[in-house]
Amino acid sequence: MSKLPEELVELLNDPTSGKVVGSTDEDGTPHLVTKGSLTTLDGETIVFAEGFEGTQSNRNLIRSIWFDRKVSINVTRGMTSYQIKGRPYKYLITGRIFRTMIERARQRRGPEADIAGVWVIAPEEVRNESPGYRAGLAAEKRGHFHNHLDVLRAQG
Amino acid sequence: MIATQEAGLAALVEKYPDVPKSIILKLDLQRRGIAFTEATAEATNAPYYRGPEQTAFSTKDPSRRPLPGPMILRDGTTVISSPVQGQFADPYTIDFVDGRFFVIDRGEIIDEVDFSPRPEFYGKLTSRGVPMESIAWSRPQRLDIYPYRYCHYWDTRDQCKFCAFFTDLKQQKQLAGASYARVVHPEDIYETVREALKEPGRYSQINLTAGTDYSGEVPFEKEVDRYIEVLQAIGRNFKTRRFPSQLIAPAYSKRQVKRLYDETGLSSYCPDIEVWDKELFRWICSGKEKWFGRDYWINSAIDAVEIFGKGNVYTNFVAGVEFSRPHGFTSIEQALDSNFEACEFFAKHGVIYLSLVWVPWKGTGLGDEQQPPLEYYVRLIRGLVEIRRHYGLASDNDDFKHCGNHGDSDLERLN
Repeated sequence: MSKLPEELVELLNDPTSGKVVGSTDEDGTPHLVTKGSLTTLDGETIVFAEGFEGTQSNRNLIRSIWFDRKVSINVTRGMTSYQIKGRPYKYLITGRIFRTMIERARQRRGPEADIAGVWVIAPEEVRNESPGYRAGLAAEKRGHFHNHLDVLRAQG
Repeated sequence: MIATQEAGLAALVEKYPDVPKSIILKLDLQRRGIAFTEATAEATNAPYYRGPEQTAFSTKDPSRRPLPGPMILRDGTTVISSPVQGQFADPYTIDFVDGRFFVIDRGEIIDEVDFSPRPEFYGKLTSRGVPMESIAWSRPQRLDIYPYRYCHYWDTRDQCKFCAFFTDLKQQKQLAGASYARVVHPEDIYETVREALKEPGRYSQINLTAGTDYSGEVPFEKEVDRYIEVLQAIGRNFKTRRFPSQLIAPAYSKRQVKRLYDETGLSSYCPDIEVWDKELFRWICSGKEKWFGRDYWINSAIDAVEIFGKGNVYTNFVAGVEFSRPHGFTSIEQALDSNFEACEFFAKHGVIYLSLVWVPWKGTGLGDEQQPPLEYYVRLIRGLVEIRRHYGLASDNDDFKHCGNHGDSDLERLN
């Protein structure tokens, strides 16, 4: 697995970043949930805690690891935003990473906070979705004809 | 034995696209068994993985490296399988390469796996000086405790014909006395559980089982008293009255089951029927037949639902043993029909009829028998899950993370 971009790693490790996991249910309907625990521990994979076994999100992720379906993650802080597409690689129910994540959950939410497991996502595609970055790319690709003229209006 | 063309893992993954590869692999890992390379044996002997000095299935042997805890597949599915030398004819190989474990079959990498890590209470002693790793054994999310390590069915040679529990199969005798204390002191159990619970998030269930002891003025009363004493000792560790737990035990009277529920924090009861067919039960489980027969076992499970609630009573069966010669089924369809009939019967009454893969351990009464093909197990777990779903049942207790023996409950993670 390759290293994630430094800016993304910094975003992932910032507890104030917004973090969303998108999965699909049996008939393909998207399902989005926020995951405050989402982070990277090794700079290569994404990990997040799952609170309960029976949630829609967890069932979707199980279906994804069983039947080779992708999931999507968005991490955003201010005007910086990244999308990561990948596949669930592991669901951890014990071990070092599980221990780290349950201890973090208890630091954040109190001593009785609990988790059911920890998902490890193997990224396959990382996209910088920051508006500034996307605007530059769009202008390069499509030229100026989609800009609203009032934005280009001279001042005064 | 049933005449069937054997389809392997890859063929069955293609044939049954609704069953994940990991679960078919698990069934086959249990069915064909596993063997460790030297690299795996060394890696699992390292401090992070090192298992207990002895288990319910092994004698204490200082020349033998302890086996690690259960294997864990990438999706979290736990697999109970041990690399017992000379037992398996065609085992999968577990290799250790570049810091990771892999399942290998005939030179081909099948998947990455891991093992349950060594719990922190192993290596510690109770205040009475008893090694805690001789009191409780660890699965990934379950603590296993065996308070009584002798099965009295052996006294009259009425042990279940497939069983290798607490037994020296070479000498055909129970191990208690030589390798184990027969009775474990409740205070040792209390202290071991207390220590185990210090590890954050390590356990979400406690499981009790033991050899059968039918003694007492009322049959089984001594055993029930012992379980109550042990469960009460364990319960002192919790602030809630009821705690996630399961007792795998003989069929008790309704009064005895109610005592277990009322006087302890036990949350699930599991009297194992082992094999559904009436004649096969009588032949394979002659001890259970004597104390007190198939109908008694069935009724005990059903009555227990009134006490523990729907879905909190289980009965396991040893899938595959129903083909044993000379009395067993001779076709897959017969065996599936029998087990689906049982599953439906129990499900109607709120009991979960759960399968586990039979391993004909050498030295047991059925040690020379052959297992059915892998496809039988795949068809079996699909059918069981479908029946239970129809009755609003799914196993949350004996599941992928707590037990590791049941492909059907693994499949219920999507329910």
